[in-house]
Amino acid sequence: MLEAIKTAFKLPDLRRKIIWTLVLLGIFRLGVHIPAPGPWDAGKLANLLGGGGNLFGLLDLMAGGALRKMSVFAMSVNPYITSSIIVQLLTMVIPALQQMQKEGGEGRRIISQYVRYGTVVLSIIQGAAYAFGLQGAMSNPTAWDFVLIIMSLTAGSVFLMWLGEVISEKGIGNGISLLIFAGIVAQLIPSAIGVSKTLGSRGLGVSFLSVIIFGILAIAIVAGVVFVTQGERKIPVQYAKRMVGRKMYGGGSTYLPMRVNQAGVIPIIFASSILMFGPTLAGFFPEKNTFRDILMWFSPGSWAYLVLYALFIFIFTYFYTAVTFNPVEVSDNMKKYGGFIPGIRPGKPTAEYLDRVLTRITLAGALFLTVVSLLPYLLGVVPWFRGIPISLGGTSILIAVGVAIDTMKQIEAQLLMRQYEGFLK
Amino acid sequence: MLKAIAKLQRLADFQRAPVQFDFTAYHSLLQEIDQYRLESESDARLREYVTELRTQVFNNIPLEKLLSKTYALVREVSRRILGLRPFDVQVLAGIAMHHGKIVEMLTGEGKTLAAVLPACLNGLAGQGVHILTFNDYLAKRDAHWMGPVYQFHGLTVGYIQSGMNPAERKKAYDCDITYVTAKEAGFDHLRSFLCYDKADLLQRPFHFAIIDEADSILIDEGRIPLIIAGNRPVQENKLRQTLAELVLKFIPEIDYGLDEYQRNVFLTESGIAKAEAGLNCDNLYNANNLKLLTLLNNALHAEVLLHRDIDYIIRDGRIELVDEFTGRVVENRHWPDGLQEAIVAKEGLDAQWGGRILGSITMQHFLNGYPKIAGMTGTAQAAADEFKEFYNLEVAVIPPNRPCIRIDEPDLIFTDQRTKLKAIIQEIIRVHAGGRPVLIGTGTIRESESLAGLLDRSGIPYQLLNAKNDEQEAQIIAQAGRLGAVTISTNMAGRGTDIRLGGAGATAEEYARVKALGGLYIIGTTHFESTRIDAQLRGRAGRQGDPGSSRFFISMEDELICRYGIRELLPSKYRHLKQENFIAEPALNRQLLSVQRIIAAQNYEIRKSLWKYSWIVEQQRRVIHERRRNVLLDHTEPWLFRTALPERYTRLSDIYGETVLQQAEKYVTLYHIDNLWADFLEEIAQVREGIHLVSLSGRNPLDEFHRLVTAACFDLQQQIDAQIIATLRGIEITDAGIDLEKEGLRGPSATWTYLVNDAPFGGTLAMMLAPLIKKLLKRSDELE
Repeated sequence: MLEAIKTAFKLPDLRRKIIWTLVLLGIFRLGVHIPAPGPWDAGKLANLLGGGGNLFGLLDLMAGGALRKMSVFAMSVNPYITSSIIVQLLTMVIPALQQMQKEGGEGRRIISQYVRYGTVVLSIIQGAAYAFGLQGAMSNPTAWDFVLIIMSLTAGSVFLMWLGEVISEKGIGNGISLLIFAGIVAQLIPSAIGVSKTLGSRGLGVSFLSVIIFGILAIAIVAGVVFVTQGERKIPVQYAKRMVGRKMYGGGSTYLPMRVNQAGVIPIIFASSILMFGPTLAGFFPEKNTFRDILMWFSPGSWAYLVLYALFIFIFTYFYTAVTFNPVEVSDNMKKYGGFIPGIRPGKPTAEYLDRVLTRITLAGALFLTVVSLLPYLLGVVPWFRGIPISLGGTSILIAVGVAIDTMKQIEAQLLMRQYEGFLK
Repeated sequence: MLKAIAKLQRLADFQRAPVQFDFTAYHSLLQEIDQYRLESESDARLREYVTELRTQVFNNIPLEKLLSKTYALVREVSRRILGLRPFDVQVLAGIAMHHGKIVEMLTGEGKTLAAVLPACLNGLAGQGVHILTFNDYLAKRDAHWMGPVYQFHGLTVGYIQSGMNPAERKKAYDCDITYVTAKEAGFDHLRSFLCYDKADLLQRPFHFAIIDEADSILIDEGRIPLIIAGNRPVQENKLRQTLAELVLKFIPEIDYGLDEYQRNVFLTESGIAKAEAGLNCDNLYNANNLKLLTLLNNALHAEVLLHRDIDYIIRDGRIELVDEFTGRVVENRHWPDGLQEAIVAKEGLDAQWGGRILGSITMQHFLNGYPKIAGMTGTAQAAADEFKEFYNLEVAVIPPNRPCIRIDEPDLIFTDQRTKLKAIIQEIIRVHAGGRPVLIGTGTIRESESLAGLLDRSGIPYQLLNAKNDEQEAQIIAQAGRLGAVTISTNMAGRGTDIRLGGAGATAEEYARVKALGGLYIIGTTHFESTRIDAQLRGRAGRQGDPGSSRFFISMEDELICRYGIRELLPSKYRHLKQENFIAEPALNRQLLSVQRIIAAQNYEIRKSLWKYSWIVEQQRRVIHERRRNVLLDHTEPWLFRTALPERYTRLSDIYGETVLQQAEKYVTLYHIDNLWADFLEEIAQVREGIHLVSLSGRNPLDEFHRLVTAACFDLQQQIDAQIIATLRGIEITDAGIDLEKEGLRGPSATWTYLVNDAPFGGTLAMMLAPLIKKLLKRSDELE
């Protein structure tokens, strides 16, 4: 992989793309430190946002810590993502949009323009929600303060959308994902400092050693995540339509891949969103009462929470895998175009076989997701690591690893193309 | 909200702005050309100019500097010899083509003559100029017609016809100017990959190509692969016939099923059981039965999906394909990989050949092999984006010599085929009564024939173009402008031939009469796959400022609408309508136009995707081809024998001398490159077939394809070396070198060239269209 990056830097074209990407990501990180205007009270803000485990905690994670700082980029690329999802859904429902999409070229350009308009509207709405939701962190806000905050947050979010698009166009990889990625990675350093400080202050006298142990552990976890994310089972497939000459191919080159973690990070996000419901609801009952107590059993870190969390992740992993990989559809498609798994008849037997393999492999995937997402809490069981501020949960590692692998693949693909150009000139 | 979006969409439906091209520089060149006053000079003086020019080219004066002088000379020579002095617009087109542009010139503006200007100029360099024509007839005609002009400039002219032998071809390619169809040039390019002797190389390195009907060749046919195949004895012919008989017993829908587009057939559980019983074998889907299963699939496909006299005909004991779009019997076309043999078995014919694909190239990549290309067509603008994307060519729209005053009437839409045909006949009778010439352009031969049948009944004399002969077609179409002429033709027929009002060689009076009647009237019986192809038909009328008009008659049962399954997409109130008159609703008109745009966009996407997949293989072909060429032309000295087997090499070279050994290594190298390349092509065809499966794990199939194919190519290069060494180790060498026959190193004794029928398994097209159609179907249900 390092070799690939080295080669990539040797090619002027690719080097320029990578440098563009890095510079633009740098601009994003700088911008995170520009505070949004407004009569913020730093202490109250930290109180409101610092808790973690609530809705703002996840949003802050996606925003790369910009929300905690109440920066102009506090909303990150959320409005853009939401807008593209909405427009995509509308495209499925509204015939006029659908035709435009299918006409290609000009039509698609117009659709992406709609996404941008949508981003502005959603930014204003989300900005307003932030401004009013965080009223408690302001001292004597005036109406003008609200207008100012909404405007600057909107501007920040639209700027990020532009930044993301420029990265996609002139740089390498998907700009929007890379912005999220950069945010997560940027928190590594403060997080690492926090961890080493805490470990140091434990008074074990071997702070250096403990940092090393933690470092090794961290690397092992990331390596494990990379391993499982890349993991797949290759089911050989053959097509019996074209005559094959002297050699018999088909072993290895054509296969149907089944990923261990087919569902990606989605089950974790779903599960934590649902579990967030409890503590958030509890927030509405300032007085102590039984109902609130029951809700508080499910606060992050409690046994009930962990059990439910694991359960939900399992359910959503199976659910989402079933949505994205339908064995019956896959086997039908293969049958129609003359493909089959050697030794297994097409149609129902193939679908059953695929289903069996999928069910088993998804079990591994679900276990993996559960372990990764519960990691911070599991580590807490070891007295040594108890109370360590691990803001980088398994979720962020999963996201970061996913984006990094995708981007690397894109660079590799580009390198392959260049290789031939080099041959010919 | 919905209305607002619909409104916005209509705004987006703007007419594409015409391509803007800056002619200022060209106009000043034109003035320069005009400043040469050559009319009064003697022929002898002109010849002196030619000599002068040739000396200047010889002395490496850039062509750019000689452009105005050459063009002035060609213009004058053409006036004297052909009696045609190129118009200013033709000269402008000639300049643009020299600069590697695609020029759009309306029909009748004289493309053939315009091409002579850049051909002459670039021909002076002596490296050969290819003028790629639309068919053999035009290659011959243009070479004869324009030949004298070239010869005056001391340039030799040749042309290629598909039946020519290698010696004749080589002679034509060695000329300064060669008229040849793009297909033939492509096949000859592939042949050069299989030569064992440099004397057999037909073509010199490419220099400059001018492509006539550029949009047809570069875009519509750009994706079709040209194939060269070597013979090998047909194997399993007996088995094929057994299978052909077996599938006859299968019952539709019980033993086999069809996909929704009727493009794919597959066995059901009952069919599998029947086959296994009939063939007396175990699980057909076991790996060791792959060959049997493949043969069975092909037999089933041949029996169920391909019908005699619709998809193919049998002539002289041979299968000949019918082009599904044009309905014409096409020569030199085959179904790929085993399907052809399955049909031969089905029809009980003698096995004609068993082809092993030795090389293939798409038209697109072949043409991109020219360092410089230019093109001309009547309809370039609509494809300007694609020219830019795939060929990096710009479009220059040449204004007509006289403005075009043809009137394009709005479409008339009918509910069904019967009422449409009836209306067309009525229209023909009405127009014909006044003597105005009518040209009816149909989508398929079948449609042409049913129209002809109806005209027979009405007693109107007509000319039907379904000849298999381009020359006859050209003669008929040239007369389509005669007073009272009624001509039925497919869109593709007779291209490149002018339709003059009053007919070819008409008197001024005849011309004036037809002109007074309103010129040629074009009736289109169906829309084509893009508005660009529609425009090709319309463009037959209104040449050189002549009057003319065009109108399309459409029905909701048209081929285009049925073939793409988009009838269901029309609002239901039209779908079940039955009426005699045309439907006067602009909304439906817009709908149909939008449908046409969707098809065009989808076809574009498919071309783009195919291009991306073929790109890398083409790069690899060039790498391997380069190596082979260097060996063939002795550009590199053979080194493997010497370095890999030093002892044997020294021992043998002491006996026979180094030359014999080097010659032996050369043959062995050429043989193994060809052989392993053919294997490689088979391997990547397999990879390509199933690569879409990787998208199940969220990966990009194209990237994955590149990765796999690159690894395979690396492997190929090592294999080539390894095989050469292995052969050289065991080979018997005598004074005469090696006995190719005995060592089994003889390349194929004969080769076939053919085009692969586009997407015979419906694979790519259907697969890509499926989601679209599914969605659109859903959508029209919602509207109800």
